[in-house]
Amino acid sequence: MFRWKRLAAAAVVVALGLTGCSANTGTSGTSSTGATLNLGVLVPATSFAAAGMSWANEAPYGQAVYDGLVRANPDGTIVPWLATSWSYNADKTVLTMKLRTDVKFTDGTAFDASVAAQNLLRFRDGTAANKSFLVNVADAKASDASTLVITLKAPDPSMLTYLSQAPGLEESPKAFGSATEKTVPVGSGPYILDQAHTVVGSTYTFTKNPKYWAPKDQHYAKLVYKVFGSSTALLNALKGGQLNAANTYDNSTLTQIKAAGYTVLPLELNWTGFLLLDRDGTVAKALSDVRVRQAINYAFDTKALLKTIGQGYGTPTTQIFPVNSPGYDKSLDSYYSYDPAKAKQLMSDAGYANGFTLSTPIAPAFFGTAVYTLIKQELGAIGITVKETDPGNNFIADLLAPKYPAALMVLQEDPTAWQLANFALTDAATFNPYHVKDATVAALVAKIQTGSQADADQATKDLNTYIVKQAWFAPWYRQQSSFVVDKNTTTTVQQGNAFPYLWNFQPKG
Amino acid sequence: MFTFILRRIVSGAVLLFVISTVAYFLLYLGGGDIARRILGQSATAATVAQKSHELGLDRPLPLQYLSWLGGAVHGDFGSSWFTGEPVATAITSRLAVTLSLVIGATVVSAIIAVVLGVWAATKRGWIDRVVQVVSILGFAIPGFLIALALVLYFAIALKLFQPTGYIDLGTSITGWLSTVTLPIAALSIGSIAGITAQVRGSVIDALRQDYVRTLRSRGLSSRRIVFKHVLRNAGGPALAVLAVQFIGLLGGAVIVEQIFAIPGIGNVSVTATSQGDIPLVMGLVIATAALVVIVNLLIDLLQGWLNPKVRLS
Repeated sequence: MFRWKRLAAAAVVVALGLTGCSANTGTSGTSSTGATLNLGVLVPATSFAAAGMSWANEAPYGQAVYDGLVRANPDGTIVPWLATSWSYNADKTVLTMKLRTDVKFTDGTAFDASVAAQNLLRFRDGTAANKSFLVNVADAKASDASTLVITLKAPDPSMLTYLSQAPGLEESPKAFGSATEKTVPVGSGPYILDQAHTVVGSTYTFTKNPKYWAPKDQHYAKLVYKVFGSSTALLNALKGGQLNAANTYDNSTLTQIKAAGYTVLPLELNWTGFLLLDRDGTVAKALSDVRVRQAINYAFDTKALLKTIGQGYGTPTTQIFPVNSPGYDKSLDSYYSYDPAKAKQLMSDAGYANGFTLSTPIAPAFFGTAVYTLIKQELGAIGITVKETDPGNNFIADLLAPKYPAALMVLQEDPTAWQLANFALTDAATFNPYHVKDATVAALVAKIQTGSQADADQATKDLNTYIVKQAWFAPWYRQQSSFVVDKNTTTTVQQGNAFPYLWNFQPKG
Repeated sequence: MFTFILRRIVSGAVLLFVISTVAYFLLYLGGGDIARRILGQSATAATVAQKSHELGLDRPLPLQYLSWLGGAVHGDFGSSWFTGEPVATAITSRLAVTLSLVIGATVVSAIIAVVLGVWAATKRGWIDRVVQVVSILGFAIPGFLIALALVLYFAIALKLFQPTGYIDLGTSITGWLSTVTLPIAALSIGSIAGITAQVRGSVIDALRQDYVRTLRSRGLSSRRIVFKHVLRNAGGPALAVLAVQFIGLLGGAVIVEQIFAIPGIGNVSVTATSQGDIPLVMGLVIATAALVVIVNLLIDLLQGWLNPKVRLS
């Protein structure tokens, strides 16, 4: 008797559902007009305050709302932006920049050299992840409204690259120290954060800055960044056509992403391999012997590791300098080819014929468990017993404490030799936690710092060769990072950065 | 009645204090170097130390807790260490999203479960057996699997719904429906199974009571007997299960929100906890615990309204 009522109710529910969806497919579909750029991002913005901004995957946040002093082209070449020209003094300790005078922040304040100087010093004195980029900045002053003078404690060959990243972002001085500085950016950039349509940590919406001084760089009326905390949700969003472009978590989903009509833009940004940190033998005496470190390099079957652990996406290598570095040498990609017999011989020559025990931290949540089984097998084959500890959340902190002589790790390949040296090679480098000193490295790094371009390039080459021969690390492969774009969008990957730079995104056609 | 409510509120406040203290110290036990996690692997040791100082992490733990508690008592829960967003804003905006899912799922499961439960209990026979088997299946299949299957079929293959994201009810009702239908469906299935079994059992029990026979002998229609008398008596245990399910759904929302990338408290809980975003996690703990206290109080009051026998005053 009541069956018809139930049927009617079911029909209403279905109809409601369907109207809901059909009304929405129009807005959820991929935009091709340049109206909206829907970007899939992996992390939220740590802070929108220019003095606290992070880069890499967070670069698109800063680039939407702020202008930088200079810009980096996709190949890393530095080109003018707010600074129209610049020059160094003879000993490269004073950088003088001529700045634009026609730029205004969205709150109406004019941009000038004094504002630029304040922003630089705030970044240097703040707590941004890369504040150490400005460690050499002694002072920054405006000699007149359009001239910024940066005084350095010592020459810094990467200074212009730094100024193309977070340290060069320009925030309105009226926003300095305000209560909302971290969440409400006030810049002069091409877009303005639309707070009403932003859910911090999940969705960030930006609208076009109507008074932008360089409108040719505003390729879209609106930007929507969607943060994906899991690979599954990101994959579903891509399959459902909700995104124009996205960074991806891992290469295992690439086949499905390609099947959904996206183009993969590959880029090698990081290397995966073993860090041999305790090269002075402070806790693992054996590692102080170069033959033992070389033996470890010979013990790893890098090609097989790339295939099984890196799913074949990447290039086997035994060097840590990136392909676009003047120090890169193709022959160093296979300097140590898999040779357990040779490894055993080197171990025996070094007096470790019976092997030794190597203590190492593991991070199965990040690397999985299979890789650690392979490490145990391959090092075990040359007599090294691996003693594993899982430090959980403290993995990096413990590694840098330093608590372990060696570890599996993925490290960035910095775009400049000076950055790479300061990140992993010099005695004060973050990833030289035992502060191992080496006179050859110090001399070569000094040349990179103060020498002419040609001398610095040669020193970079020599440094790379030296590090490989001395087996400071046991790299396995440069892994592929994959950025994907739909058929309506074009962009160019940025050397040395996980996310393409915002102004390179354009609607196709 | 008033004393009862007051007593429950006071015990709720004590519970909140205990939970917050335990949670704070537990967070530190598994905490690790939070400043390093905020800044990433490229930051130097000096930068990490400075960040630790800025966040007050270099102070003794009891002092950090007292300073958090002092703020919390005055309603100041601080800001997220990872996004700078005030904790109160972060939670209120996300709680609304999660509640719209959880309340939606509760209503949907209550309606469907009552219909199925009563149907199975009154018809018995093969209908009853089918309902029982289906509800066991619904209980056994993990929610995330159902969620994934729903996305793949209804959102990606048929393109009927949005695979990820959330559209606010105020922005567009149809948009809202297109984003919440699948998550609510995924959340409801397990809960329907649990409540159906309870309703079925209670209704069968109630139907055996003497008063039902009396009502029948007075010539009341079976529909009237079931919906006006039996259900009211059978409602108590079902309501208790519903309350437990509601709280369980908050847990279920954690996974469903991850799969559908919905900006609710479940999603943010996972991120904040794994990062060690202590101010945000503490805010979430307090909000969730308060919600559980309130829901339990409401259910108690509702029980009293439904069944005079359990009234306290």
